[in-house]
Amino acid sequence: MSLDFLLHPTSYLGGVSGNLSAYLCFSAILFVFGLIAALSRRSTIGIFMGIELILNAAALNFVVFQVMKKDLAAQNWLHGHMFSLFIIILAAIEAAVALAIILRAFGSKGTINSDRISELKG
Amino acid sequence: MSGLDLFVLAMFALGIAGAFFTAFHPNILYASISLIATLGAVAGLYAGLGADFLAATQLIIYVGGILIVILFAVMMSENIYKKRFAAEAKKYILPSIVSIGLLALLFKLLFSADWGELSEISQSQDGVTLQMGQALSRPYALPFQYVAIVLLFGLIGAVVIARPHIGKKRK
Repeated sequence: MSLDFLLHPTSYLGGVSGNLSAYLCFSAILFVFGLIAALSRRSTIGIFMGIELILNAAALNFVVFQVMKKDLAAQNWLHGHMFSLFIIILAAIEAAVALAIILRAFGSKGTINSDRISELKG
Repeated sequence: MSGLDLFVLAMFALGIAGAFFTAFHPNILYASISLIATLGAVAGLYAGLGADFLAATQLIIYVGGILIVILFAVMMSENIYKKRFAAEAKKYILPSIVSIGLLALLFKLLFSADWGELSEISQSQDGVTLQMGQALSRPYALPFQYVAIVLLFGLIGAVVIARPHIGKKRK
């Protein structure tokens, strides 16, 4: 169904703000770029930024499904928004702990390159 | 094409460009700045979807938090302006192939799924801040308190991890 906006973009551009698949494609692309960053960056800050991208893609999907689901909108339930809000809060906690670990690793190793922080490697 | 469509398209473009440079820019400083662009684009999409409270939250928490990340990146990267993408380029090959395969799989799923009634937007474009406050005070009160406790202990843990160890032998 609705992915044919990729095949005939000009005829579908008019409805892009209401098109579920456009949002899902966007967050899939965001997720994949985050995955690439998390897998291939050697700086731990870069890995952390990739994880942030992945979390953002997931949170966006929750809101999109919430908005597109008619009976949820009719009942004034906001499960999708709540999920996204909790994802944002947990990402903030994760950022605090991750930066503390990075700071500690930099203090003891003098580098944040994940290739050279390898004491836990088996 | 309405103004909202143009806005959403612009946010898509900004977000994808920012995510690309976040993944591939050799300089971690510019990668963090691209990440700010992407997070701002996602906040714009929240606003376009009528989730005004989430848009504001995203801007305040994420974009503010990423500024701290930039500070860390500048403090801790050695030779931040040195070009060394050529030496690291081959580390991108395998993850990129795997991830593009995953992207193809996701797109195939999106194409083949029958979304039924979900295919069209069904919202009023009004804000939902009032409803979110009501939801947080009644059906979501317990998860809200729970996440507050998690936040408290996460921050205590971060402080414990980050400070210099007391009582360790000094030279």
